[in-house]
Amino acid sequence: MAHADEAAIFNKDEAKVDWHDKALWFVRQKRDKSAHNVQGWEELRNLASALKANVLSNLDTYLLQFEENAKKNGVTVHWAANAEEHNKIVHSILVKHGVKRMVKSKSMLTEECHLNPYLEANNIEVIDTDLGERIVQLAKEPPSHIVLPAIHKKKEEVDVLFQEHLGTKPCDGDPQYLTGEARKHLRDKFLKAEAAITGVNFAIADTGGFVVCTNEGNADMGVHLAKVHIACMGMEKLIPQEKHLGVFLRLLGRSATGQPITTYSSHFNKPAPGKEMHIVIVDNGRTEQLSREDFRASLHCIRCGACMNTCPIYRRSGGHSYKSTIPGPIGSILSPGLDLKKHSSLPFASTLCGSCSDVCPVKINIHEQLYKWRQIIVKEVPQPGVKKNILKIAGRVLANSAMYHVAGKSARFMLKYAPRFVIYSKLNAWGKARDLPEVKNGNFDDWYKNRKKNE
Amino acid sequence: MIGIKTEKRMSRESILKAVKKNKPESLPLPEIDLGIFEENINLVETFIGNLNFVGGRAIQLNNITEMDAEIKKLYPNASKIVSCVKESALGTISIDKETDPHSLEDIDLAIIKGELAVAENGAIWVTDQDFTIRALPFITNDLVLVVSTNDMYLHMHHVYEAIAKRDRTFGVFISGPSKTADIEQCLVVGAHGAMSLTVFIV
Ligand code: SF4
Repeated sequence: MAHADEAAIFNKDEAKVDWHDKALWFVRQKRDKSAHNVQGWEELRNLASALKANVLSNLDTYLLQFEENAKKNGVTVHWAANAEEHNKIVHSILVKHGVKRMVKSKSMLTEECHLNPYLEANNIEVIDTDLGERIVQLAKEPPSHIVLPAIHKKKEEVDVLFQEHLGTKPCDGDPQYLTGEARKHLRDKFLKAEAAITGVNFAIADTGGFVVCTNEGNADMGVHLAKVHIACMGMEKLIPQEKHLGVFLRLLGRSATGQPITTYSSHFNKPAPGKEMHIVIVDNGRTEQLSREDFRASLHCIRCGACMNTCPIYRRSGGHSYKSTIPGPIGSILSPGLDLKKHSSLPFASTLCGSCSDVCPVKINIHEQLYKWRQIIVKEVPQPGVKKNILKIAGRVLANSAMYHVAGKSARFMLKYAPRFVIYSKLNAWGKARDLPEVKNGNFDDWYKNRKKNE
Repeated sequence: MIGIKTEKRMSRESILKAVKKNKPESLPLPEIDLGIFEENINLVETFIGNLNFVGGRAIQLNNITEMDAEIKKLYPNASKIVSCVKESALGTISIDKETDPHSLEDIDLAIIKGELAVAENGAIWVTDQDFTIRALPFITNDLVLVVSTNDMYLHMHHVYEAIAKRDRTFGVFISGPSKTADIEQCLVVGAHGAMSLTVFIV
């Protein structure tokens, strides 16, 4: 199903959509407030972007340097070309240690590789320990947001879910009570787990160490109690030197939730005495994305979620409508790289307003890349008739680079100039049941001329 | 097993080869100009403001000898206490390198010396050299950290300079108590780690 059809399903519950929309916009506002508190914020973004560009242009060297240093620290390093290899490697480590129970902290990579079903099929219990992830795991759903995995769930739904699986009392969705019960339930899992899997936020080439960020403390609870720690990382998580964490840790928490830093930023270098630490470096399509000049910068992503929180389409269509591990604007660039046909509707799930690019801490030109995917998709993937018409009209605007330049910065432009059916047709689920703001202040030509004058 | 090993080696080589082929031309490593981030602000005040913002509590002491009395006031019911700070006599449970972290499951309070504090985000840097058992600051019900005003830094760039020469094992920035907002974005303090954090500034 195309993204717009999936979005239409999400839009059936209007009250919930409104809540979702506002909740995420609130997170976006917290991000703004927090960013404005930092002197040199824009310079931090420039630095982060340049650092990531440097990493990609020397990725093989940094990978080797990282491997060498990690090995010196007593860490075992594995390489996986794809999801299947990743899952096999993790499984073989668990088998070696006779692990039957495993806890996992948030890792979009293991979602991408579908590690949980693989291990469960091999009779290993996998418990997601981030509260949001545990909620969606119990509901047998994928996360709908990379930072707020259960943002699509109302508290009453969590209440019912916990009654069923954790035996809690009905509580009208009291978050305090439900969180407390989850703490007890997961504490037991932490104490019994023989191995812990974590993601990696940043891996440092010149020390061989890596950093994991959480607010709940679940990664650390898992790792420090279990005898084996397996950290799974996409190969783009590297940064050159430890001091560069200064740049990235200042950006990550603020961009994600408006916190000045996550509660825990854990720096792992050596395994604790008597314990084992493994790192699995995963490609799974990343080297291919690296080869695409127009889309390479998508590998800068530090998974903060800011582009989702700000996106008018994401907020009103929900993460599940994207049907890809990473939803939202950045997911709409990454997923077509993995399977163009399957994800061909995603680059159209955007107003091209550019808000995503404006908030991205590593300055990925997200909306421009979405536009570039559209051009490729129109050529390579057969389009249904109605969409072709829209594309033709959109194409007239988008093909004119001067107009596009202006339009790209202004969602309002699309509202005013896209024909009514583009906004209100079935394809645009987010335009339904919602009065879009009227665009005032003269027409585009006047505005454009005025703008020229003021330049 | 031999099969898996060969496969692994092959993936390593093929990944590195593909990266080499697909990467763009080398781009320079940017220099960080610290001048841009300098601010003339009161470090202790800023730190306390940020610590409160992230749900922690700061208490300034004239002398570390006043600390135990304050802790007793704040945590009157704590009985299982691990103290890793020599100035505190409140410890009731002693730990060493051999302690099984699982045995710390019902610890009420841990008291740990922080190495430095970061004004811009209310975080304290601690390493396993300060608390011996890595699980301690997370598994304890409540956490007390002690930090000296001399160890306050404006921002993370200075901090990484300050910790550059450490023996790298395990270290963590802790900013406030553990928390979550995963149920309808309602902030709940006390997820899996410590339920509260008190920082003594001496
Ligand atoms: S693309 Fe940018 S804004 Fe979006 S998640 Fe990645 S880093 Fe954050």
